[in-house]
Amino acid sequence: MSSSDVTNFFFLFQNLAPTLPIMQPSHLVTSLENLLSEKVDQMMEWSSRRSVVRMNGDKFRRFVKAPPRNYSVIVMFTALQPQRQCSVCRQANEEYQVLANSWRYSSAFSNKLFFTVVDYDEGADVFQQLNMNSAPTFMHFPAKGKPKRADTFDLQRIGFASEQLAKWIADRTDVQIRVFRPPNYSGTIALALLVSLVGGLLYLRRNNLEFIYNKTGWAMAALCVVFAMTSGQMWNHIRGPPYAHKNPQNGQVSYIHGSSQAQFVAESHIILLLNAAITMGMVLLNEAATSKGDVGKRRIICLVGLGLVVFFFSFLLSIFRSKYHGYPYR
Amino acid sequence: MKSSPNKGVLLQYWLSGALGGWGGTSDGKHKASTNAGGSVHGNSRPGAAGGGGGKVGLSGGLTQPAGWQSLLSFSILFLACLAGFSSRLFAVIRFESIIHEFDPWFNYRSTHHLTTNGFYEFLNWFDERAWYPLGRIVGGTVYPGLMVTAGLIHYVLNLLHITVHIRDVCVFLAPVFSGLTAISTFLLTRELWNQGAGLLAACFIAIVPGYISRSVAGSFDNEGIAIFALQFTYYLWVKSVKTGSVFWTIGCCLSYFYMVSAWGGYVFIINLIPLHVFVLLLMQRYSRRVYIAYSTFYIVGLVLSMQIPFVGFQPIRTSEHMAAAGVFALLQAYAFLQYLKDRLTRQEFQTLFFLGVSLAAGMVFLTVIYLTYTGLYVRLLTCYAKIHIPIIASVSEHQPTTWVSFFFDLHILVCTFPAGLWFCIKNINDERVFVALYAISAVYFAGVMVRLMLTLTPVVCMLSAVAFSSVFEHYMGDDTKREKPPEKAEEGLGPNIKSIVTMLMLMLLMMFAVHCTWVTSNAYSSPSVVLASYNHDGTRNILDDFREAYYWLRQNTDEHARVMSWWDYGYQIAGMANRTTLVDNNTWNNSHIALVGKAMSSNESAAYQIMRSLDVDYVLIIFGGVIGYSGDDINKFLWMVRIAEGEHPKDIRESDYFTPQGEFRVDKAGSPTLLNCLMYKMSYYRFGEMQVRRGALTPPGFDRTRNAEIGNKDIKFKHLEEAFTSEHWLVRIYKVKKLDNREPLDHKLRSVVPKQKYTSKKVPLMLGGEFALQVWRDSFRFS
Repeated sequence: MSSSDVTNFFFLFQNLAPTLPIMQPSHLVTSLENLLSEKVDQMMEWSSRRSVVRMNGDKFRRFVKAPPRNYSVIVMFTALQPQRQCSVCRQANEEYQVLANSWRYSSAFSNKLFFTVVDYDEGADVFQQLNMNSAPTFMHFPAKGKPKRADTFDLQRIGFASEQLAKWIADRTDVQIRVFRPPNYSGTIALALLVSLVGGLLYLRRNNLEFIYNKTGWAMAALCVVFAMTSGQMWNHIRGPPYAHKNPQNGQVSYIHGSSQAQFVAESHIILLLNAAITMGMVLLNEAATSKGDVGKRRIICLVGLGLVVFFFSFLLSIFRSKYHGYPYR
Repeated sequence: MKSSPNKGVLLQYWLSGALGGWGGTSDGKHKASTNAGGSVHGNSRPGAAGGGGGKVGLSGGLTQPAGWQSLLSFSILFLACLAGFSSRLFAVIRFESIIHEFDPWFNYRSTHHLTTNGFYEFLNWFDERAWYPLGRIVGGTVYPGLMVTAGLIHYVLNLLHITVHIRDVCVFLAPVFSGLTAISTFLLTRELWNQGAGLLAACFIAIVPGYISRSVAGSFDNEGIAIFALQFTYYLWVKSVKTGSVFWTIGCCLSYFYMVSAWGGYVFIINLIPLHVFVLLLMQRYSRRVYIAYSTFYIVGLVLSMQIPFVGFQPIRTSEHMAAAGVFALLQAYAFLQYLKDRLTRQEFQTLFFLGVSLAAGMVFLTVIYLTYTGLYVRLLTCYAKIHIPIIASVSEHQPTTWVSFFFDLHILVCTFPAGLWFCIKNINDERVFVALYAISAVYFAGVMVRLMLTLTPVVCMLSAVAFSSVFEHYMGDDTKREKPPEKAEEGLGPNIKSIVTMLMLMLLMMFAVHCTWVTSNAYSSPSVVLASYNHDGTRNILDDFREAYYWLRQNTDEHARVMSWWDYGYQIAGMANRTTLVDNNTWNNSHIALVGKAMSSNESAAYQIMRSLDVDYVLIIFGGVIGYSGDDINKFLWMVRIAEGEHPKDIRESDYFTPQGEFRVDKAGSPTLLNCLMYKMSYYRFGEMQVRRGALTPPGFDRTRNAEIGNKDIKFKHLEEAFTSEHWLVRIYKVKKLDNREPLDHKLRSVVPKQKYTSKKVPLMLGGEFALQVWRDSFRFS
């Protein structure tokens, strides 16, 4: 049964449904039961095919909103179409898929809980109906009654990690889901690839391994690590700050964070360059004194080195001062 | 520049001047460099300490270079120690000789226990005053090195009839050890580069803020002595690799033993030294010296480290020690192959080599990499991965490091030490491999966690000293006198350029010294037990509320009273008030802490249940709303809620404490759960009547920390009563009431007076029968 068939079928059914009680009041109970079991069967069939059921406006109204239900539904309202440019939606969707798969393939899988998704481009009317103007949003529709305030997942505060979602679902529905993340082999594969690449390169050049003994290369690599760390790249990696801040009022872009507790990515790059320049200045000063060559040339190298050290250090100091208000010596 | 806080500056300035002169002496020509050094420090001499005078007298002894050298380096080293010691005394001079912060109070308390009851009693100490009702086995859960060191110094001083209180020994221990650190840094750098660099490194480490932050007077903590042990162990290790003598290696093991007894950071040593050996093997720098040094170190060090009760069998069990074992096996295999190489023919050896290497080395290599990766690195990495465990995330030390903190703690050194690393790698030898690895691993760890800046600081000082020293070596001193062959005209860069470079470099070092003094004085010298505030005219107010409150507890409560507070104040309550606490800064039991957090964040009657079950007599909280102190309990409150939620998700929900807009507010718009929880009520009890700023247009009950008028001014307690509030309301103590008498019944007691006027004769008899029945029932119940 293709999806268009399903929609048509239920269009028909929905038209009939209001008339049923009037025509045959004695069959009210049985028909409701039939309706319910039919809905449950349908939902089960879909979720056995895909762990997250895609819904449009009509399906949503029929299966999620309409009353005869004995199952809870978690709905993710989102906008996954590429032209919407919602990168958060995509990340949230991945987490949601992980969670739904954990539920789908867990031993506790039952017809008490279903995971569905409504895309804005397929069910814009649902968004309007629920008065919703931001995506992604997670909502829980309980088996009985209307969703309460706590049935909307607090995305801003908790984030959308699957574990947090599972905790929220356990809180709302008493269904415990153990999140099982498919192990991520990409890192291992990349590492293996890198190792084999390096190994292959070494093997190919096995007759000329001089470059391994090249001290300059090793020194460069060591300095790269040092510069990356002292400019706070690890902080960037963990905290994920924005690249720079653009003031919405006047459109000015600031690259330096005003507080001493935080930094922008651009700022850390600037610092990295400044540190490298100062180090280079020190090295040049030493080169100028030790190398054997033309005195005039060496003088120039020496002055350039000195200039690098003094100029960039004072620059660094002024950036530091702009972050530490009241730094001037007392 | 003559004022006393700048003393360290002047010393450093003088020292750098003297060192400049020193740099030029490496090839034995001293006259020129003396002049250079003299002229540089000439203008600062009036302010410098007496050391300046000794140097002038020295100029007569120039004829004996060796004696001159050693005397100069001795005096520079001595002055470095002195500068390091005295620049750590800001807190003692400004306040008094007291123990700072939180952890040092526990260390002080256990040292006190050690000195009063003896060593064995200390090792077996079960502290029933902490973690009520669980208690804590102190002897087996601390690194005893710190306490034993302080206790030993105290013992020796008393033996010599120098009667000092153990508290003073504890307060001044870290500054004294910073002097020793300077000396061991000097020794290590001298082994790595030359003596001039060593002296510069000693001067740097004496005043660098990254190390001062953990070793000011009064901060009686493990790190203070551990950095000395670390540097000294590394010095002895480099020495033993250089000489290959068992003597130095045994010294290294003993120093390592001291380090293990002092600080958990010994794991850094036991991974860095094997890494050094491993890299030496990879670089084909294997030698007998390395073999002897590492084999001895691993075995003796392993046995010694297992003598510490807290470490126990960890060195052979846990993964972070496995790298050392793996490298040990690898080294044995490698040495065995080397041995066979001499015995077998080339053909035989090649087959054996391919077999052996491809099997053994591959296996061991993989194990080492794997174990190091999973053990050490993952352990450090998970410190931030475990953000979802609130108690780890709530500690500010476990955060990654911004560039600002690098610069704040190291200043010019952070920009110049890569140059030193560059020189070391360009002129590589066995021990410079070591320092390069040290630098790279330490800088990585410092990037991951602010706290590990401490292990980075020594290597930064050493490498910066290398960079500066090599510059001074070439630019200081006079061309005309230095030239050995006079016809070598290409040597000179010209005296002008040289003096400009020298001057500017010295200016940089001077800025560094000023920065260090400023940072030490302003950022790292507050005891946090005593607060100071400054008025507009510069006069100082001392807020001594903490000690006032703890002293009140000590004097006015029962000796066995149990005090509930948030875990930050556990050690201080135990140390200063000498009362039993429920939780403290040794956060080993998360569920117990969560229980306290739950009590703080529940409403009064629910909290009373918890407090009754934990036998709480007093509750102590910190409230900064009156004076605008931002580190108080309301600001920490969300962490209490989070930690409580982690253990009791059904009862406590973080979202209940936010407004519907997701804000944390204490004013009228705040969530009703927050406005009625125990912490809020205890903080703001009677605060609604208080006009904080007189004359200003603030309403009564205006919280200066959060700049809001509080939302619940009508606070009444049922199960608690206010026992004590300190002068500035900083500490508030509440007494938990005992259970009330049984509440009177709502309905009237049944009157036994019969309605009828007449009395039947049967009635008393019936009453009697009822009474008998009651007695019978009661006896049945109690049997």
